[in-house]
Amino acid sequence: MTQYFKSSKFQFLVLMLGLLIAGCESDDPQKEDTPELITKATLTFTPAGGGTVVVATATDPDGEGVKDIEVDGAINLTAGVSYTLTLSLINELAEVSSPEYDITEEVEEEGDEHMFFYAWTGDVFSDPSGNGNIDDRTDAVNYEDEDLTGEPIGIVTRWTAASTSASGIFRVVLKHQPELKTSTSGADTGETDLDIEFEINVVN
Amino acid sequence: MLTHLNLILVKKILTLAVVLTLLHTSGYAQRGCISVFSGQVLDEQDNPLIGAAIILNPTNKGMVSDIEGNFELKEICAGSYQVTVQFLGYQEQVFEISINGSAEKIIRLQPDVQTLHEILVEEKVAHVETAQNYAVLSGEKLAETAGKTLGESLKEVSGVNTIQAGPGIFKPVIHGVHSQRVLILNHGIRQEGQQWGSEHAPEIDPFIASNIVVVKDASSIKYGTDALGGVVIVNPAELPITEGIGGTMNLIGQSNGRSGTVSGLLEGGLKNHKGWGWRMQGTGKRSGDFHTPDYSLTNTGIKELNFSGAVGYHDEQKGFEVFVSHFRTDLGILRGVAISNLDDLIAAMEREPPQSTEDFSYDIGEPRQKVSHNLVKVSAHKQNDNGDWRVQYGFQNNNRQEFDIRRGVLAGVPSIDLQLNTHTVELEWETPHEAINGLCIGVNGMYQNNDNIFGTQRIPFIPNYRNFSGGVFGVAKFVRNDWVFDVGGRYDYRFYNAKGFDFKNASYNESLTFGNVSVTTGATKQIDPNQSLAINLSSSWRPPHVAELYSLGTHQSAAAIEYGLLLNDSTNEVMDINDVPFSIERALKGVTTYKRQWRNFQLELSGFANYIFNYIYLKPTGITQNLRGTYPYFRYTQTDAFFIGADLMMVWNLTSQIKVTPQVSLIRASDVTNNEKLVFIPSNKFDLSIRFEEPDQYKIKRFFIESKVKYVARQGRAPRVVTPRQIKEAAEQNIDLLANDNTIFDFMEAPDGYALLNLSTGFSINREKVRYDIRVAAENVLNTSYREYTNRFRYYADDLGRNFLISLKCNF
Repeated sequence: MTQYFKSSKFQFLVLMLGLLIAGCESDDPQKEDTPELITKATLTFTPAGGGTVVVATATDPDGEGVKDIEVDGAINLTAGVSYTLTLSLINELAEVSSPEYDITEEVEEEGDEHMFFYAWTGDVFSDPSGNGNIDDRTDAVNYEDEDLTGEPIGIVTRWTAASTSASGIFRVVLKHQPELKTSTSGADTGETDLDIEFEINVVN
Repeated sequence: MLTHLNLILVKKILTLAVVLTLLHTSGYAQRGCISVFSGQVLDEQDNPLIGAAIILNPTNKGMVSDIEGNFELKEICAGSYQVTVQFLGYQEQVFEISINGSAEKIIRLQPDVQTLHEILVEEKVAHVETAQNYAVLSGEKLAETAGKTLGESLKEVSGVNTIQAGPGIFKPVIHGVHSQRVLILNHGIRQEGQQWGSEHAPEIDPFIASNIVVVKDASSIKYGTDALGGVVIVNPAELPITEGIGGTMNLIGQSNGRSGTVSGLLEGGLKNHKGWGWRMQGTGKRSGDFHTPDYSLTNTGIKELNFSGAVGYHDEQKGFEVFVSHFRTDLGILRGVAISNLDDLIAAMEREPPQSTEDFSYDIGEPRQKVSHNLVKVSAHKQNDNGDWRVQYGFQNNNRQEFDIRRGVLAGVPSIDLQLNTHTVELEWETPHEAINGLCIGVNGMYQNNDNIFGTQRIPFIPNYRNFSGGVFGVAKFVRNDWVFDVGGRYDYRFYNAKGFDFKNASYNESLTFGNVSVTTGATKQIDPNQSLAINLSSSWRPPHVAELYSLGTHQSAAAIEYGLLLNDSTNEVMDINDVPFSIERALKGVTTYKRQWRNFQLELSGFANYIFNYIYLKPTGITQNLRGTYPYFRYTQTDAFFIGADLMMVWNLTSQIKVTPQVSLIRASDVTNNEKLVFIPSNKFDLSIRFEEPDQYKIKRFFIESKVKYVARQGRAPRVVTPRQIKEAAEQNIDLLANDNTIFDFMEAPDGYALLNLSTGFSINREKVRYDIRVAAENVLNTSYREYTNRFRYYADDLGRNFLISLKCNF
């Protein structure tokens, strides 16, 4: 009985009172666009001499939710082949026509505040050699683009797969470095906008 | 170096001298109400009486004596007055006094064990009438905190600590609990701001207060739910009722942050309209980057501009008042705490000084906050033989914008943008003041509307909501022999309608209701004229805050995702409250205070125990991944928590001029259900001050020099430590450290204990009708590097280094 009283009549009274005080204010919240959300990252390895394009994607099914990201399999490169890697970051929640849809474009426009860093294990590349520049900025990565000040951005990079079969982990990190990006700023500078890992295999 | 400092000092003094002269001239030109009536209330044995009420009629001005029995009534018009002095267990004393300029009087009260009078004071301290365990920050003690934020000022009160987020954001903590569990009353109105975040400080200008009362038990049942830990009451002075103009002017300069604060107050009564009074008040503050002993804390500047005005009519039977205030602050958040994922957190914690540390600047960039708070209050009271009626209405408008470092067109767009409007209405009736036994009953209601301002381009952290609350209460007080008892109860109801967006950016709409009862009971016994004992036992509840139910997202500087209680563990979807194991949070708190005075020594010891059932807290739950990297996540959860502790304060009058004041605050908290510790509980504090005073020497009045050592112990009961690096390294092995063991943890070990030395000196001079109070202080004199456990930024940077302060106050 009390329950009934509480849940319906009293609530109604309360609601009426509330409406009375609030007048004709509307409190239905409007849905926000969420352009900062990157829901899909695509890595496209295009072989220099033509041939099969290798594509790997990482998608985030629930944004700030508890679910982990999904990576669609490993990156399989052919031994000895040179590839151009192009990154694409998409926010699938935005309209395709919206400037917020393609985050890569935004990153490029603000190239002097952004930089991609790469790391890998298992000696999967012959060029660049080593393990990438996440641990040490001075380590080799072949950047194919640059910002207005001449510093690399890393949306386009060049890679040559090892001559023998190998496998390891390939990691891509995007840093937002407003007023912090210099010729020596590394992957520990600024805020992280992207940090993803893929399995990588080189096959003969 | 020293000469350089001296030069700066000389420059500052010169500037002050100019200002002083200017002010002096303006003060001279006015014939305002600038007299001061001060003195000390003592018992037969010349021991000070703490908390005696001094009322000056017909002004209705009044105050309570402080721990040394001292009182000071300012802004009094020259003339003849009737002074009434009252103190529980002592005979009331009434005498005539003529005040012109300044008057001082030692008042000796005779014990009255037969008939105990109620502590009865006019409106402004009426709020303490049923409290047994409280502390007052007023007079000189309050003046010494000038230039600090409200939260920081309250640190001077024993049993009060702060939760801090950098040098500009302080939240009061009473007996270990804070935020939703501490009620703040500003001018008698429940402060309703965005208090759910640990980086959300109370939006009140401390210069508005003539005294601040901290009630440490839950006896202030009149003001509604939420006072599980206690109540902070910010009281203004009474409006003048007689003709004339008076005021005060404060100028404060501080070296750390290179800050300047100007605060002025002007008030008066109307000619030929006795009873009418008005007041205008304003404060401006500008501070740049603060610094530790070794480096600058880049982007910690503060800009603040506040003003208020009041007008009213008061006579012996009735009163009416309108009060309007505006508070506005822009403050920077330490640049180095702008972090995204777990890797960023690892880097930030292992780096010192923080990233982006630059030289001193007044600039405030992202991350930053912009907060404003407006209050309109209308109140009236009427007193006759049937009792005292009081009614008040308050409207509050709170705006909070938080700006993060964002990309592209979003740079400069706030990521949190909230507007909270609150209407409160209160009506109460109290038995006539003359009655020995008293009863007070009342009703209060609140309607609140929280809106996310569209355009943040982020899923809102908390939903839009409407809140309708109502309550009825009754408090009774009765006297039996040398005991004073009081008992009170109230019922509260709260209705929420929340409309927000979940992680998928899909909308939800939920309505919730809560209703429950709070009770309080207390007793005070005047054992003999030198000893008293007060006990209070209460059971109070609070409805959960919307943020605790629906939060979703990452906080500025936290690198952690927070989920509300109603979000499903695995799907994150918003659930019905009946489908989650939720129970109302309820506190059972007992506080007892024993006071005793000897000839040259007085002691105040209070102990407390607070058992909070279904205590809501953020529990580490697991780690999650998105394309920005790995994040730990925390979920609002409930447990039973137990807080126990003691506050000890002593005053030892070594000679008539030298006074030694030791102060101790102890606290221990535990999570009873899980047999665990709790995080961010203030550690034990020990203060010792030695003060030399010379009240009147030639033209120098009230000279003092004080040395104070504050020792804050290391928090020995901090929870286990799981560093971000450990979480990260385990995650790389596909081990979720938090899911495997979700007992509470901290990212970093509790910092070492520390001791700070503060020195201060000051004096007053009277010239014509103006009194100047000059104070010079040095804080952290030894420039000690330290980190405070309850400062959330201790992960990233040291606390503040040495600070010189110079303050000038003129009363005209």
